[in-house]
Amino acid sequence: MTDREATQELTASEKQPVAGEGTRPGPVYRPDVDILESRDGYLIHVDLPGVDEKALDVRLEDGVLRLDVPAPAPDGAVTTPLHTEYRPGGYHREFRISEGIDAAAVTAELRNGVLELRLPKSEARKPRSIEVRAA
Amino acid sequence: MTLTRTHRPWGSLFDELRRDLDGLFDHYGAGRPVASSRGVFPPVNLEETSEGFVLTAELPGVAPADIQVSLEGATVMIQGERKPHPATPEEHAVHRRERRTGSFRRAFELPATIDAEKVEAFHRNGVLELRLPKAPEFQPRQINVQAS
Repeated sequence: MTDREATQELTASEKQPVAGEGTRPGPVYRPDVDILESRDGYLIHVDLPGVDEKALDVRLEDGVLRLDVPAPAPDGAVTTPLHTEYRPGGYHREFRISEGIDAAAVTAELRNGVLELRLPKSEARKPRSIEVRAA
Repeated sequence: MTLTRTHRPWGSLFDELRRDLDGLFDHYGAGRPVASSRGVFPPVNLEETSEGFVLTAELPGVAPADIQVSLEGATVMIQGERKPHPATPEEHAVHRRERRTGSFRRAFELPATIDAEKVEAFHRNGVLELRLPKAPEFQPRQINVQAS
């Protein structure tokens, strides 16, 4: 049982969101992520600018961690756009999770538009140093 | 977040400013959807209301303390730095690194002078919003028509 195995299983899926999946019309983006692994587990940071925690749906099902944010409703403000470089939208991304993750201990926190997911390794998967005794 | 007025000459900023301005005029009233700004951080939207302008910028992971907003006449500038996430463990392996870090600076010249004292800046869910009221001489005015 090595970390290398767990590493290969935790991969970000590249698939695009299914058309018509959202309940509201609007673009759905694949957010940028960082995935780091430490001794204790995995740390995932996801850029979700403009997303309120109430709109964010994170679920872990059948070994897949899913992240969904519906496209926001138009705010109806009366303004004249002068310059537009981004369009508010929804977000979607999935991660396949290895069996070495303690699913019950996964935490999610949203701060300054960045979601932090902590996925602790289950005790059996944590690296251990084995004491070598002289025979 | 600090809101300051700077009085320094723009110098090397000028090219960047010009580029942003070109984009601005390109899209004046032409219903073209999204300006070609791939790779520019942060992406910025600028809207006009009758009272002023609303500038929003997507700055996920940038703490309010790391954003500086400055204003000179009709030119507004946002600059700062997106740092690595503070929760980054000391010893770690990187499996994916899509989120880029570093300093940023963007400047826009608005088509009206701004009432600097009344500028407001908000930071919510990683989006910066600047409310920039037009100076009194640019505010819409109601003219009463008198019978002669």
